Amino acid sequence: MKKRSMLAEIMLVLGGIITTVALLMAFFWAPASLYPDGRVDFAQKIFYFHVPVAEASFLVFVFTAYYGIRFLMTKRREYDTKAKIATEVTLFFVLLTMATGILWTRVEWNVWWQWEPRLTTYFIMTLLVIGYFVLRNSVEDEEKRATYAAAFGILAFIDAPISFLITRFVQSTHPVVFKSGGLETPMLVTFIIAQVGMIMLGYAFYQLRLQQEQLRERLDALKISVGG
Amino acid sequence: MPGLSMRQFRAILKKDIVMELRTKEMITSMGLYAILTMVVYQVALAEAGENFDVRLVMPGLIWVAFIFMSMLGLNRSFVHEKDQGCLDALLLAPIDRPVIFLSKSVGNLLFLLVVEALSLPVFAFLFLQGKEGIGNPIWMIALVLFGASIGIAGVGTLLATISVNTSGKDIMLAVLFVPLEYPLLRAAVGATFAAVIGGPGTMTAFWGWMAWIAAFDVIMVAVAYGLYEFVIGA
Amino acid sequence: MGDMPDTGAAVEVRGLSRAFGLRKALDDVSFSLPAGAFLSIFGPNGAGKTTLVKVLTTLLNPTGGSAKVFGLDVVEDSDELRRHIGLISHNPLLYPDLTAEENLLFFSEMYGISEPERRVRELLVDVELDHRRLDVVRTFSRGMLQRLSIARALLHKPEVLFLDEPYSGLDPHAMDILDNLIGSIRGDHTFVMISHDLDKGLELCSHALILASGRVVMFEPRSAIDEAAFRETYRATVGTGVS
Repeated sequence: MKKRSMLAEIMLVLGGIITTVALLMAFFWAPASLYPDGRVDFAQKIFYFHVPVAEASFLVFVFTAYYGIRFLMTKRREYDTKAKIATEVTLFFVLLTMATGILWTRVEWNVWWQWEPRLTTYFIMTLLVIGYFVLRNSVEDEEKRATYAAAFGILAFIDAPISFLITRFVQSTHPVVFKSGGLETPMLVTFIIAQVGMIMLGYAFYQLRLQQEQLRERLDALKISVGG
Repeated sequence: MPGLSMRQFRAILKKDIVMELRTKEMITSMGLYAILTMVVYQVALAEAGENFDVRLVMPGLIWVAFIFMSMLGLNRSFVHEKDQGCLDALLLAPIDRPVIFLSKSVGNLLFLLVVEALSLPVFAFLFLQGKEGIGNPIWMIALVLFGASIGIAGVGTLLATISVNTSGKDIMLAVLFVPLEYPLLRAAVGATFAAVIGGPGTMTAFWGWMAWIAAFDVIMVAVAYGLYEFVIGA
Repeated sequence: MGDMPDTGAAVEVRGLSRAFGLRKALDDVSFSLPAGAFLSIFGPNGAGKTTLVKVLTTLLNPTGGSAKVFGLDVVEDSDELRRHIGLISHNPLLYPDLTAEENLLFFSEMYGISEPERRVRELLVDVELDHRRLDVVRTFSRGMLQRLSIARALLHKPEVLFLDEPYSGLDPHAMDILDNLIGSIRGDHTFVMISHDLDKGLELCSHALILASGRVVMFEPRSAIDEAAFRETYRATVGTGVS
C-alpha cells in the first residue's frame, strides 16, 4: 500500500513535469507545420496534447474491460472497484479529448462540431462511458451492479473500435497523424514525450483514486462492524 | 444442441409466441409506435417541398423508427419473465443458460421482423407514391432488415436482461442500447441507402455495408452470448 | 429418478459463507439435515434466509464452504441437483397469460419430463384444478395460484422441496388447502421452509434453525426444543439481529 502510494505520487509529479515540458517543446522547439500554401498552422500544436490524451483514454479503457473480465471470473469485489476507477479515468480523458478536439475543429474548420469519424467515435465513447455510470447508479444490489457493469464495460470496449472503423469506412477528413514520413524527428520526439507523460498521469490518477476508494471501502466496513 | 436443450429452446420460443398471439402486447405497441412515427415524419418533412427526393432520407427515417420501436419490444419481452418471478423458475430448471439467451433472442428477432415487414409497406404507401421507385431489387432491403435485426435482437436481449433489473427500465435500455448499436445502425442506413437509390456503384457499397452488419452480428452477438450466463445468474 | 447418491444427510452444509466485499450475507453456516426432515428457518429480515435458500437451490454460488443436497454439490453438480429440487415461493412463478395446463406443460419441457400430458393431468387432479385447466392463470385467485404453483414444483418429482414463505398472503381457506397438500406429500419429501410465522413454522417442522446476520444462532431438532426458551431466543434475535 505504502509503496504503491509513493509510486503514484512520483508518477503524478513526473507526469505533470513531462507533459509541461512536452508542451513547451511543442511551442519552442518542434518546427511548425505548414499549410500547403506556406502559412504556419499554429492550431496543429494542440495535437501534442490532444492525441496523447485520446490514446491514454483508450489505454485506460482497456483496463475497464480487463478488470471486468477478471471480476466475472472471480466475483471479487476489488476487481469491480478497479474497473470502476479505470472507467472514471477513461471518462476524464475522453472528455478532455472531446474538448480539445472541438477547439481544434473550431479553428481549423470554422465550426464547433463536425460529424467527422474520430469526433463521432469519441462522442459515442463518451455516451458509452456515461451509460456505464448511469447503469451503476440504477442498480441497488452491489453484486448485480458489479456484474452488469462488467458485462457492459466489456461490450462497450469491443463496440468502440467497431464504431471507429466504421466511421473510417466513410471518408475521413480528420488529419492522419502518422502517415508515413509525416512527422519530422523533433515533432515525433515531442509527441512521444507528451505521450509518455500523459500515460504516467493516467497511471497516477488511477492509483490515487483507487487508494482513495479502497480507503473509503475499509471505512464502510469498519462502520458496519462497529454498528453490527 | 443435445435433446433436452432443443426441447427447452422450442418450449420457450413457443411459449413466447403463444403469449404474444394471446395478448398481442409487443406487436401492437411496436406497430402503433411505427405508425405514430410516420405521422411525426409527415410533419417533419412538411416544409421540405414537392420536389424533395424522399429516398435520400428514407433509410435514416426507417431505421430511426425501427431502433426505437425495437426497444419497446425488448423491454416487454423481459418484463413478463420478471413479473411473477418466472425467470427464477426458469433458472431453477436444469437448463443451460445460453439456451435462454438463444430462445429469447430468436423470439425477439421474429417479432421485430414481423413488425418491420408490416410497417415498411405502410411507409412506402404513405411516402413513396408517385415518387421515383426503389432503385435496386427489393430483396436487398429484406436482407438488410434481416441482418441488422439479428444484431438488434442479440445485443438487445442481453441489455434487456440487464435493464429489467434496474430502476428506470425503459430509459436504461435506451442509454445502453443506442450507443452500442451505433455501428450497426450506421451500416444498416448505408446498406438501405444503397438498395433504395440504385445505379452504378451501389452494389459494391451495399455489400460493403452488409459485410459490416455481418461483422457486427458475429462479434457482438458472440460476446453477448458469452456474457449472458453471468448476467442472468446475477 | 431413483439414482440419488446414497448418503445419510439430505442437506449437508459446512462452513458456508457468501460475501461480497466485506458484507457477509452468510457467515460460516453449518448444519446437517436428515432425509425426510422438515426444516423451518427463522430469522429477522436481512438475516440471510433467502440467500441460504438461493445457494441451496443453485441460484447463487457460495463464496466459501460447501453445501450438498443428497450428496450433490451446489456448484459442481448444479445441473444434476436442479433435477431433484423444487421451489414453492410466495411468488407463484407462473406465466399469467398462459393457461394452467400450458404453464405446467411448459415447465415439463424445461425438465424434459416424459409423457408430459399425462403427468400434468395427474397433478392438476391432485391440486383440484382440473376443471380450470384451460383457463388463463391471470384469472386465478391467490389460493388457486398457490395450488398450481405447488403442482409446478412437483412436476419432476423432486426429493427436496424449498418453501419460501409459502403462507404469506393466503386466506385461511387457502392455508388449509396448502396444509393438506404439504401433509399429503410430507412422507416422501425433505422440506426446507423459510418462515416469518413462528407458530406455523414450529407446528410443521422437525428441525428449526434461527439465522441472524448470516450466522446460525440455533439449530435443533424439534424434539429437543423447549418452546418457551425458543420463543425467547427468537424474539431476542429478531429484536437485535438486524444489522
